[in-house]
Amino acid sequence: MDTMLFTGRSIWTMIHGIVFGGGALMALAAALFSLHAMRAATVSDVAAQNQARYLARLMVFTAVLLWLTVLIGTYVNFPPYRATPPEGLTDLAQYPRSLIRSSPGTEWLHSFAMETKEHVPWIAAMLATAAAAVSVRYRSQLLSDRQLNRMATTLVSICLILVSFAAILGIFVNKVAPLE
Amino acid sequence: MTINPGSLDKANGAALASFLAAGIGAFATGAVVLLNEAGLFVSPTLYEPAGGVSGRTTLAALIWLIAWAVLHNRWKDRRVEPARVYAVTLTLIGLGVLFSFPPVWHLV
Repeated sequence: MDTMLFTGRSIWTMIHGIVFGGGALMALAAALFSLHAMRAATVSDVAAQNQARYLARLMVFTAVLLWLTVLIGTYVNFPPYRATPPEGLTDLAQYPRSLIRSSPGTEWLHSFAMETKEHVPWIAAMLATAAAAVSVRYRSQLLSDRQLNRMATTLVSICLILVSFAAILGIFVNKVAPLE
Repeated sequence: MTINPGSLDKANGAALASFLAAGIGAFATGAVVLLNEAGLFVSPTLYEPAGGVSGRTTLAALIWLIAWAVLHNRWKDRRVEPARVYAVTLTLIGLGVLFSFPPVWHLV
């Protein structure tokens, strides 16, 4: 039996979308919850200091996951997606962009979904990095300073919305024209 | 923006520099994309298989990092009035996200 269950392209798509992208979504949700639930008026006790340290680690982990998702998406998954098929080829299964654009009913999956996915996740990665940097530098102050906490929470919320949206669009594209 | 020298434990400048730089990075991403779609600016392709997105996103990321370095250097030991910085940051993020959406490109 020499049939490959998954191709290399398919595995990279799963790493991008499920391992790192899915992981980033879960980490963002956890970070958002923690930013809200760990808020405290004073953070002088050891337990609060520990909470701040764990939160900082979570935020850094989230940012790293997002950057891995973005970089693999842009430099590993996107090139085979946008590859141009040879002249006259009728089976476009190996050329997702051309396959999607060949039908008016699916053309939006490139012109809207993939075009959005090309850039918006980069914004999310920048926002997550900013929040992570603040959590590392300010630690417990991020939990006790109301304004800092609110801004970090806002950035992580925006990040979660953007990544969720990009993830849904990615699922749509992959359903119609998977990288195989 | 009111900027006051402050004690290090009260200094919030580094945090606000991070936030504002992220806003600038988000706006740069949207602006580069929008200018590219309008045919007013074409960023170089850095990795041919990925096409123009490699140049656009790298340029935006460079603008973000440079802005962060400059702002951090200026504000790191200071207490900065946060309200206005937050407002500017959120506005820049909103515009950046808006400019990155394909339906907006067709309006220019």
